[in-house]
Amino acid sequence: MLRDRKDFGLALVIIAAIIIAWMAISLVVDSTYYRLLLTIIPIWAVLAISWNIFSGYSGLVSFGHGAFFGIGAYAVTLGVIQFDLTPWLGIPIAAVLGALAAMVIGFPTFRLRGTYFALAMLAYPLVFVYVFDWLGYQELSLPMKRDAPTWYMQFADYRAYLLLTLGLLALALVANLLVERTRFALNLLAIKENELAAEACGVDTLRWKLRAITVSGALAAAAGGLYAVVVLVLTPASVFGLIASAQAMILTLFGGAGTLWGPLIGATVLVPLGEILQGELGHVLPGIQGVIYGAAIIFVILLAPEGIYWRLRDALSKSVKAAGSTSIAPERPTALVASAATDRTERDRGDILLAVRGISKAFSGLKAVDDVSFEVRRGEIVGIIGPNGAGKTTLFNLLNGLVTPDRGEVLIGGKQIAGQKANRICRLGVGRTFQVVRSFPRMTVLQNVVIGAYVRALTEHAAWDRAREAATAVGLGSRLEARAGSLTNKEQRLMELARALATGPQLLLLDEPLAGLGATETQELMSVVTGLPSRGITVVIIEHTMHAMVALVDRMIVLDHGRFLKEGPPAEVTHDPEVIAAYLGPKWAAKHAVR
Amino acid sequence: MLSVENLSVSYGGLRALSTVCVQVRQGEFVAIVGPNGAGKTTLFKAISGTVAPTAGRISFEGSDLLALHPAERAHLGIAHVPEGRKVFAAMTVLENLEVGAFPGAARQQRAALLERIYALFPILAERRDQLAGTLSGGQQQMLAIGRGLASAPKLMMLDEPSMGLAPAMADTIFERIDQLHREDGLTILLVEQRVGEALELSDRAYVLETGHVIMSGTYQELSQDDRVRRSYLGM
Repeated sequence: MLRDRKDFGLALVIIAAIIIAWMAISLVVDSTYYRLLLTIIPIWAVLAISWNIFSGYSGLVSFGHGAFFGIGAYAVTLGVIQFDLTPWLGIPIAAVLGALAAMVIGFPTFRLRGTYFALAMLAYPLVFVYVFDWLGYQELSLPMKRDAPTWYMQFADYRAYLLLTLGLLALALVANLLVERTRFALNLLAIKENELAAEACGVDTLRWKLRAITVSGALAAAAGGLYAVVVLVLTPASVFGLIASAQAMILTLFGGAGTLWGPLIGATVLVPLGEILQGELGHVLPGIQGVIYGAAIIFVILLAPEGIYWRLRDALSKSVKAAGSTSIAPERPTALVASAATDRTERDRGDILLAVRGISKAFSGLKAVDDVSFEVRRGEIVGIIGPNGAGKTTLFNLLNGLVTPDRGEVLIGGKQIAGQKANRICRLGVGRTFQVVRSFPRMTVLQNVVIGAYVRALTEHAAWDRAREAATAVGLGSRLEARAGSLTNKEQRLMELARALATGPQLLLLDEPLAGLGATETQELMSVVTGLPSRGITVVIIEHTMHAMVALVDRMIVLDHGRFLKEGPPAEVTHDPEVIAAYLGPKWAAKHAVR
Repeated sequence: MLSVENLSVSYGGLRALSTVCVQVRQGEFVAIVGPNGAGKTTLFKAISGTVAPTAGRISFEGSDLLALHPAERAHLGIAHVPEGRKVFAAMTVLENLEVGAFPGAARQQRAALLERIYALFPILAERRDQLAGTLSGGQQQMLAIGRGLASAPKLMMLDEPSMGLAPAMADTIFERIDQLHREDGLTILLVEQRVGEALELSDRAYVLETGHVIMSGTYQELSQDDRVRRSYLGM
């Protein structure tokens, strides 16, 4: 996922080269059968690209892209038959209908996840098969229009059809290119990797999913419309049937899901293979096409689970790799630690940034958070402590919108935010990290952070700059291109912190950022947190490592059994008999009593 | 009882452990301490069979562990209480304990084992029909230990049982582990970030750094060492 213009230009040149080469091949082919094949491959490639734009990036597998394909095919055909509508207009109208259908189907179906989503999507095209049968459209042919053939997209020279399908292919590839090189694909990938984390760093997950399926539905319907023009005869089974839906998915998986070239590679290899074998052997082995697709899936699972695009790229890059890699010396967190020198007591406390009033949440009768009220001033570092199960994490979930409160108010700078969605609250300036790091493991450090940066940045350029700055500020400047999954625990915590910083928060909620860290690592992370107020960021932190908390925070709030127990400066709270009984334990008290 | 000899483990070219030797005798409480990334969890995974070593031997009561399938190792009497608790969230407390009690020996003593687990952790008895995912972190850690006990182990391996726990809760967990060692005579192998507590409780300890055992000995011996005092005990 490169972001420079040169790379974008190169992709456009490759697309143009493919189209020209395709035309050139057609000049030397003289069999009608192979000509039809050359014309039809781009259509299936477009359907596969449409699947890729949605499922390939978002990870929400659609078994039902035949629904959109069929809607497009029937819209164009019925347009010509019933309204004498030219396909030149019919295909764009089909695309609009496909987009609408995608929204109508997507909105309720996005309530489901994983396998359930995939299976629910399968239902739509199957329903359409019966509906169109019942409407009496078992077999529709496009009527011949001898008086104005060009107006009705009917050509004597097959190369005109080829130009049309290649034109649509070019359009689809450019659409996919735009998706891949912008926040579109990165936001979808973030949803695929960790939806909750994406929502918490400002990605409106429902809206992005709807956008993706709408673009995808439009492209699939356009492909279906053109298919009807080229093939001339439609049956519900041919466009809504399982093969159409399966092809969209299998061609993409075979070539490489979530890549620009994968769907085209899949279509170019598998469509001719299936068609030719069907033509040569179909009379002895009926259904050979299905066997080819089945075999392709098995082949991909065994030999190239991520699609053959990656295999090809790995093979190519191995020969290039000899160029050598540059290594940069690890650097210290720059901006944050330098300014961290300010003494805790000298920090000036501003107005009230966060006000929580009587907030409550019960889970099936169990009161997780019960009538809790407190305030946090701008520039403070406030610690929240309490036994496990006291409701600390639930409190954070209520503050950043992952959980809706039963009662109570949450005000940020005087603005009521309780009950709003997490991505919205993130935009209002509340960032957070999680107890168990929620990274996007297969994306790089910089890509992880840029997801947060998109919240504030209008352009791609500004977003990447912002991300780089945030990652460098926490000391990850030399690890920008490392995969998040390969980071150490400490680096993952820093990365999550950088991602939250990139969203431009006024208030940062840190949920046990020191968990599982050793002594020196704890120091490193603490030095970053201490520097946050000087950047204008107020911090609320949950942590059990008491010696760190005592050194770090201005004030402590103690929760017990979901209720507010105590509040005060660390020295006072840690000597409070109630707090010792509920949380610290007699051993801790004995060790620290003499101070 | 457990003998690890010259064990080496690599992940894709990266050496996580190199020629590590660890001995645990019957009835001993042995701790392994060291910074993050030193290879402590890898050592546990190699013993229970979730990663394959590149070289070395592991034997338990004389039998070669590496020749056995991971699932068969549990039947020998090794219980692994993993880092981060990993209880079965969608099952009840009792179901979690029953899953633990699969080896043949454990099934015969089911009632006695359950009684012992409930005596150690009364809260588990109280919540036996509650889903494990709804327990607090400390209760989940108790359940993870309980699940290990339900297999009637001879050796219990605990990976950072205090992680993410409130101070008072961590104290309780350490007390229970100590109780299991003293009262039940259970052999214990403990990995812990809280070095002070771990060293105090254990009979002997190994210090692991970047995949090597750099030191071993009793609490008295180790706490005399300047390096250990400085880097781990904060003295």
